[in-house]
Amino acid sequence: MSLDLAFIFRVLIFPGFAFIFSLTMFCDWVERKIEARMQNRMGPTYTGPAGILQPFADFVKLLAKEDIVPSDTKSVVFKFAPVLSFSIFVFALFFLPIDGANVVLNSGFEGDLIFVLALVSVANFFLFLSGWSSTNPYSAIGATRVLTQFLGYDIPLFIFALTSAFLANDLSISTISASQPVPFALLVPWAFVLFIITLQAELEKDPFDVPHAETEIVAGYETEYSGRRLAFLKLAKDVQIVLGAVIVVELFLSGPYGPVFLGLPAFWYTLWFILKVLFVVMITEYLTCVFARLRIDQVLVINWRMLIPLSILSLVATVAVAFWLNPMVG
Amino acid sequence: MTNVEQNVLTALSGELGEKILKIETPQPEKIFIRVKAGVHRDALRILLSKDESTGISAITGVDLGETIELMYHIRTCGTVVTIRTEVPKGEARIKSITDLIPGANFHEREVADLFGVTFEGHPNPKRLILSDDWPKNLFPLRKDADVTNIETKAEKVTPPGRDKQSSDIGTLINVIVGPQHPALIEPEKFSLKVDGEVVKEVDLRIGYVHRGIEKAAEKRTYLQDIYLVERICGICNAAHAAGFCQTVEAIMGTKVPPRAEYLRTIILELNRIHSHMLLLGHAGLEAGYETFFQYMWRDREPVMDIMELLTGNRVIPSFITIGGVRRDTKEERIAEIKAKLATLKKKMSFYKQLLKKDPTLKMRTENVGILSRLDALKLCVVGPVARGSDVKMDVRKDEPYAAYGEIPFKMITYSEGDSWARLMVRLDEVSESIGIINFALDNLPTGPYRVRVSRIVPTGEAISSVEAPRGELFYYVKSNGTAYPERVKVRTPTFSNIPSFAKIAKGGNLADVPISFVSLDPCFACNDR
Repeated sequence: MSLDLAFIFRVLIFPGFAFIFSLTMFCDWVERKIEARMQNRMGPTYTGPAGILQPFADFVKLLAKEDIVPSDTKSVVFKFAPVLSFSIFVFALFFLPIDGANVVLNSGFEGDLIFVLALVSVANFFLFLSGWSSTNPYSAIGATRVLTQFLGYDIPLFIFALTSAFLANDLSISTISASQPVPFALLVPWAFVLFIITLQAELEKDPFDVPHAETEIVAGYETEYSGRRLAFLKLAKDVQIVLGAVIVVELFLSGPYGPVFLGLPAFWYTLWFILKVLFVVMITEYLTCVFARLRIDQVLVINWRMLIPLSILSLVATVAVAFWLNPMVG
Repeated sequence: MTNVEQNVLTALSGELGEKILKIETPQPEKIFIRVKAGVHRDALRILLSKDESTGISAITGVDLGETIELMYHIRTCGTVVTIRTEVPKGEARIKSITDLIPGANFHEREVADLFGVTFEGHPNPKRLILSDDWPKNLFPLRKDADVTNIETKAEKVTPPGRDKQSSDIGTLINVIVGPQHPALIEPEKFSLKVDGEVVKEVDLRIGYVHRGIEKAAEKRTYLQDIYLVERICGICNAAHAAGFCQTVEAIMGTKVPPRAEYLRTIILELNRIHSHMLLLGHAGLEAGYETFFQYMWRDREPVMDIMELLTGNRVIPSFITIGGVRRDTKEERIAEIKAKLATLKKKMSFYKQLLKKDPTLKMRTENVGILSRLDALKLCVVGPVARGSDVKMDVRKDEPYAAYGEIPFKMITYSEGDSWARLMVRLDEVSESIGIINFALDNLPTGPYRVRVSRIVPTGEAISSVEAPRGELFYYVKSNGTAYPERVKVRTPTFSNIPSFAKIAKGGNLADVPISFVSLDPCFACNDR
């Protein structure tokens, strides 16, 4: 087999690893800026123009710090959980159309929606393992909270994702995003809103950021981490936020597709993609700013008593109106 | 002496009769009753039967040479009765009153630590204030305590480490918060035994920031002591200065000019506003509501500016002094202060709406950390904590000091007794305080702002309370006729409030611990002194 340079370029540079990494850093900066401005603060200003390089500087700084592994930890899991969780999140992103196609061309297959969502759950499980292997009470409680929270919220997340799949009549993400001349967010707004709320819990953001409630359990499952492992754990969390936003974009905001001018689809698709991701990030950040943190039991009550019944209702409603919506589905 | 005190006195002398050795009134409206050791419990029982809300303000120990005098300052029937008794220094034992008033628990342990008095029948006679390696038979507040070369006398203590007690037992996880913990700004230790997310047991250990201020005050002149007591707490410093100065003025019989009384009131209320806003912001942070925190602290800045305008300093104003205040204010500043307060008032009504309506904030604070009225009375909590549990108690109303007797204001109480109520009390009090300051500025009397006093204080003793932002702040000063006090006792509001934490945390959720704890507005530096 000959070396396929285009393939390597796509995987490593664009729209693969380097692009995803820069997008993550950029989204992190946007989040911090939005949160700061909403709270009447400055946010990062020092590194790069308007502080845009601050997330990168933080990452590099953590890489250079001393890496301490507590003597009691189950070391293999403790050492590899951050990297594994990071790589699985990135891997999941490879299946989502970014510049009009997947990272690996034509790698999408029928049912990759379920595959991607399953990958997210596995990556979350590694976050749990990272805390569980720390043998620190704060980490242990943080880890159990991660597990309890994701166990519940994965169910409505799947069901809401099915709404889009049902409308597009396909389980492949590429097809779903390609069949939205009118974004599904406009056709089934209720599912879009509820999906964002569920995502908020999935991303551990306010009001659902109980797994690392710093005033109760320090940093939750991250407590014992330092140095480059912490850097990768934090990066994994940031990629997770981007991944969450991208899933919303693909399922409800017609993916990277939009008007194309001057016949450069790859450029325009990437631009639309980034703008849509930023739009979702803005919404989640806005929600983070206006809510207080709930308690773990309240988080679960919201999940089991509200979101799961609502998700089923939403699916039923979508089925009911699907007949009239069909002409608007490409 | 007014009717209230007369009634209490008649009741006590009627029942105790011969057992009362002496009745003293060193200052008007404050009764000191001297009884034999042991009779203090009878006196307490009589007071309890007369008024169910009888609580303890403080227990003061004084070293008299051969004996140790114990003073139980009892809040009862709207006045403070001091029951004093003596125990011999060699055989310092006395019956505990914790069974009668559970709130005396910490007070007794403190006296036991600092004076070496054994309280018989105390449920938990462990160290409270002194560190674990402090020499066993050295009691720092006794006059003959030899504290030279103290390092060499330190006790051997085994570090808690990973022994059986501190590690996990069965399904209970031992979550230790403190003494060093990222979520605690000051060092104090709370051991929480947690079953899943439910708190089963709470153990408190304080004293990590004990600086021996009461002892240090004996080595300084009265004037130097003002600056010392201000540094007990950086937040409610004006209340400390006011409490100390009032007590010394009571011994000297100094009459403070009315203008100074009004200026004192203004600075005390500014103190309250900025303390309450600091706490409310902090509560937002504990509930994971960072936006609320950032906004609250941003709006607190103008209050600090007003303090600077009035006194020249932003944080510790050093404004109040014995005989008045240290600086007069100008007419043109008043308009500026009022404008800033008007803006603040508008913002406070917005925050009130927020705290009343925001669903997540309500879910986190409502029915969380409930302290019932009965428990509040039993544990003798003070200030906003008591008022949040529907206990009508405010030193500004009960025993008006400074200009509070002349200024109309409402006492804020809420009956819910949960964290939400305690936060609401503070939010409403900020608005009341703005009203008080506006009234005081409008009616600022003319005349001198201080009287010069002698640096030597005549022999005597006095007690005084002020309503600090966190509640009743109690001072006792004994003078021996020199420029140095014989004894200065400070009982800070947090010291009275902190035992209630064990009550409200038990049975609750681990996630509720920070918010219910912070709703008590604890100040550890005050607490330990």
